[in-house]
Amino acid sequence: MARTSRSAVVTGLGFITSIGTGRDEVVSRLRSGRGGVVPYDFCGNPNLAVKVAAPVPGFVLDSPSWRDWQWPVAYDLPRETIRGMAPHGVYAFCAIEQALADAGLQAADIGTPDTGLFCASAGSAMMLHHHVAELRESGFERGHPMGVVSSIAGTLNFNLAAHYHITGAVAGFVSACTASSHALGYALDEIRLGRQQRVIVVGAEDLNAETDLPFAAMRALSTNPDPATASRPFDMQRDGFVPTGGAVALVLEAPEVAQSRRARVRAEIVGWGQSADGYSVAMSHPEGAGLQRAMQRALGDAGVDPASLDYVNAHATSTPAGDRSEALALRAVLGSASRTLISSTKGLTGHGLSMAGAMEAAFCMLALEEGFVPGNAHLIDPDPACEGLRLPREATACPSEYVMNNSSGFGGSNVCHIFRRWR
Amino acid sequence: MSTPPASAQHRRAHDPLGKFPDSVRAAHQRYLDRGCVESVDVVVMAVVRDHVPKTIVLPSEAPLPDSARLVADLGFDSLAIGETVFFLEDLFKVRITNAEILKVRTVGELRSFVRQKLGAPRAQA
Repeated sequence: MARTSRSAVVTGLGFITSIGTGRDEVVSRLRSGRGGVVPYDFCGNPNLAVKVAAPVPGFVLDSPSWRDWQWPVAYDLPRETIRGMAPHGVYAFCAIEQALADAGLQAADIGTPDTGLFCASAGSAMMLHHHVAELRESGFERGHPMGVVSSIAGTLNFNLAAHYHITGAVAGFVSACTASSHALGYALDEIRLGRQQRVIVVGAEDLNAETDLPFAAMRALSTNPDPATASRPFDMQRDGFVPTGGAVALVLEAPEVAQSRRARVRAEIVGWGQSADGYSVAMSHPEGAGLQRAMQRALGDAGVDPASLDYVNAHATSTPAGDRSEALALRAVLGSASRTLISSTKGLTGHGLSMAGAMEAAFCMLALEEGFVPGNAHLIDPDPACEGLRLPREATACPSEYVMNNSSGFGGSNVCHIFRRWR
Repeated sequence: MSTPPASAQHRRAHDPLGKFPDSVRAAHQRYLDRGCVESVDVVVMAVVRDHVPKTIVLPSEAPLPDSARLVADLGFDSLAIGETVFFLEDLFKVRITNAEILKVRTVGELRSFVRQKLGAPRAQA
């Protein structure tokens, strides 16, 4: 196939998040600053220091058996599909259904060799734990037939590719908190190279004890019991992230394909970059060296000067070390007197791990379309490392041309994307 | 068996027939309480119907004929057969081997097999 455009356009978005399960609700919550963090009992242990999380309303997925699950009746999820899913597969299915409807596409439209599916999740620790425990109990003689495909990393792409009869490129991404940003970047490249005309990208995660509480053992989760302040990126009092689950899906298309079918375009993805810190398995580089390179590469790929950025959706998860390193990286790339507005929406949503990149990329597109910038919820006392950065507390009207999304993950992985308002 | 982790204790009790009709739940309970073998058929037929993929359109209320073949007529794949077996094992607290289930090809054979497995008289297939 011939090489096509330098960019891809996004024609559909789907949101299953702690701050809304539809575009309009998410826009409203981003504007109003009403977050999704609530008191949360992970495992019935009153001694547990972690007291809050950001669940998705309307879903009950707290059992390893799909027969116990509940999800909104508007989503027609057949038994032969759900049988192989993890809880976050249900979120992802609903997000894709929404994104396809938003893009004006039917499920039948994406079962062609020109359409790919790139997914990001860490798999389901809850399902894996349950199925392995069941196997172990029988001396590994008896296990559930769907135990593997509902548990391991890849569960999203296995199930969704089968359900939607995807015959183009299918892949799963497992780079932790950069995973769905990697999926988005490689989807852009597939379209740029002319290998695919359309790629569905979805990031999703479970929210449960098995997925999230291991992060408490790393001292990465907030132990602040107050939902109103537990997630406060860039604030001096921040003490860790607040976990969330859910899914966000995006439909990427080659511009000429979207135009030929007269699709409404939400935004354009004009460049991306990635770079690793080469520093630590879990901690960010103290000056955000890898993130600086990723931002510069994304800007270079897009052909955009840092001064042209109207907004950056920061990765900042509300951890002491990570936020500081990102602030320093932003200062290094944007300069000390940058006009660029910066916010981390994790103050509202919590941190969605593998889904964070897709979720925040989609938030960037809402900001471009709607002409506003989300605020830094709960930011009262900014870290001195942020000196010179413009961190609005509240949502601000801002007709933007270019915005950037940052993601950073374990192993020092960093991915950045540049989006442009569609004209 | 070791004590389940706190998270498992915290979770709602699993209700395998939670989304089945009340008549099926009652039949299963009659079997558990009184060993009522007629009730087994009701549950087995409901479980088979539940595992039929959406692409196969069945008459909504008519009983499945005993001659219906699980794979050729009802669209079961090997995983669906495995799931059905796993589900029935849990419901009736029995163990079914691969060799046993490989002999079962039709609805009637499955019905008879489960009855036999539970020590009940064979169904009239």
